[in-house]
Amino acid sequence: MSLFLQCLADGLLLGGLYSLMSIGLSLGFGVTRIVNFAHGEFIMLGAYGAFFASIMFGLDPLLSLPLVAILISLLSIVIFILFIDRVLDAPHINQILLLFGIGLVMQNVAAILWTGDARSVSTPYSLTAMEMGDLLVGHGRMVAFGVAVVLIIALLWWLRSSELGRATRAVAENGTAATLMGINVNRIYMLSFALNAALGSATGAISSFLLTITPFMGFHMLVKAFAIVVLGGLGSVPGTIIGAFALAFAETAVGYYVPDGIGWAEGVAFVVLLCVLIVRPRGILGQAVEVN
Amino acid sequence: MSIRSIIYALLSVAAILLPLVAPPIVNDWTLRIGSLVMLAISWNLAANAGLISLGHSAFWGLGSYAALIAANKYGFPFFAALIPAAIVGAVAAAGLAVITGRLRGIFFAIATLALSEGLRVVAVMTPGLTGGGGGVFINQSLRPSTQFVAIVTSVCAVAFAYVAYLISRTPFHYACRAMRNNESASQMLGISPLRFRIGVLALSGGMASLAGGINIWYSGFLDPAIGFDLHVTILAQIAPILGGIHTLPGPIIGAFATVGLSELSRIWLGQQGISLLVYGLILVISILYMPKGIYGAWQSLMTRASGGRSRQRLVERTAS
Repeated sequence: MSLFLQCLADGLLLGGLYSLMSIGLSLGFGVTRIVNFAHGEFIMLGAYGAFFASIMFGLDPLLSLPLVAILISLLSIVIFILFIDRVLDAPHINQILLLFGIGLVMQNVAAILWTGDARSVSTPYSLTAMEMGDLLVGHGRMVAFGVAVVLIIALLWWLRSSELGRATRAVAENGTAATLMGINVNRIYMLSFALNAALGSATGAISSFLLTITPFMGFHMLVKAFAIVVLGGLGSVPGTIIGAFALAFAETAVGYYVPDGIGWAEGVAFVVLLCVLIVRPRGILGQAVEVN
Repeated sequence: MSIRSIIYALLSVAAILLPLVAPPIVNDWTLRIGSLVMLAISWNLAANAGLISLGHSAFWGLGSYAALIAANKYGFPFFAALIPAAIVGAVAAAGLAVITGRLRGIFFAIATLALSEGLRVVAVMTPGLTGGGGGVFINQSLRPSTQFVAIVTSVCAVAFAYVAYLISRTPFHYACRAMRNNESASQMLGISPLRFRIGVLALSGGMASLAGGINIWYSGFLDPAIGFDLHVTILAQIAPILGGIHTLPGPIIGAFATVGLSELSRIWLGQQGISLLVYGLILVISILYMPKGIYGAWQSLMTRASGGRSRQRLVERTAS
């Protein structure tokens, strides 16, 4: 029973991180209809940002997070203006390959600048844990979960209540109609891409004290984020949160209950993705995805 | 037989015979270029049907492992081991085609990306079969000489080019092109997208895994990180895009250009990670400024040289 509770607690905490990791990807796709294959690299940059803020200025990742997120979303705006703006109407092939290429460049610039060495940030709370009866919960993961929840609630509130948030939802629903209502669709595209990058880098910042930081960490997270977004339904923000927790619980359960489970857990994302594509390709809450 | 086809035939024979006469360094180039030609043709075939693979390393790795396991566990010699190598890739790709059946192209790209990652985990976690994370050497007593593998690579690369040429003359090719441009419209014309998808992907996957199956006899060692390396995926898409996507000579030109560029960047810049950075830049620049690749640029240069601005305009109009 205590194993089950521990599994539940771990899954819950991991789910928070996964939600934050994939929510930007989902939002970006919903609005621009472009899948951001460079999403993992924004996570990686966020992690490095937090790392350097920590060793150079002694800033805690939680303090440097807003700064890192702002800087990286500025970078993403530059990328949007230089590259993505030009393929918005291009065939899918070009969009996919362009973003994949941008990700590749970012990954390897990072590898050249900062070497492939694995790094991590140590904080006062990253190595301590709290005991509750039989449960053992790391403080670092609780902090990360808290940050993720706060950011996600802020995002949902912004989408719901602010003028720009409503405009963003309008564009996601129907770009042409939004244009007719006087919304500058291109600006919303840029904004949602920047939000995508900001959320990705925030994920990186809070995983900087949970995971090892390497220039290639983004790719593994990208595959998981895809599994989550497809499971939840491409473009659906609430679906993404459900998908994130589902994947987190599935991975944790495999990790605890299957022999050699820690290794197999890494493959759960792929199995989930495959099953969703077979059983319900539109995901839990997604829109129709079949060719029409 | 036209002069052009004679030239092609001579070039092919030269490519096949090259490893026999040239110094050992040429074997290495032949293997790299030949493998990449195979991968690029395979990738381009799928792309012709509108299917963007971001996980060609999955098929490559499957082929490598199939050949290695056939050799080590069952004592298959070189050629016999290539049969399971080709089959396993074809079956996996056909399965993927069925699964992503009626979905938009994006799902296929995502599924291939994840397939490669998933297979890597499987390879790490089944050490009894694959040797696990530590990797495994292929049975040395069965291993042919590097020169022999180089010749087989050349023969296969030429054969793949010929297959691609033959396909480009069949209705199959036009059906794929129609699917790429507008799947619903092609369906109305009586093309069954699923059946063509399965066909084209089985061929593409089989080609890539055969290339992997041949290459393992050259490299001799395999672990999950090598087998399902992102590098292979990237090379497989860079070459056709640089050379000219959706064209016949494009993947071949691109394979030569890609290997050349990676050698040059290694010599001039000589830093770890630099070749991948160059690939990324090639991808971005090609998509933005040269979407039709080297071959496309050459063609429009020729059209302009032969005086036909109006003719080019006509071509563009009929194409669009």
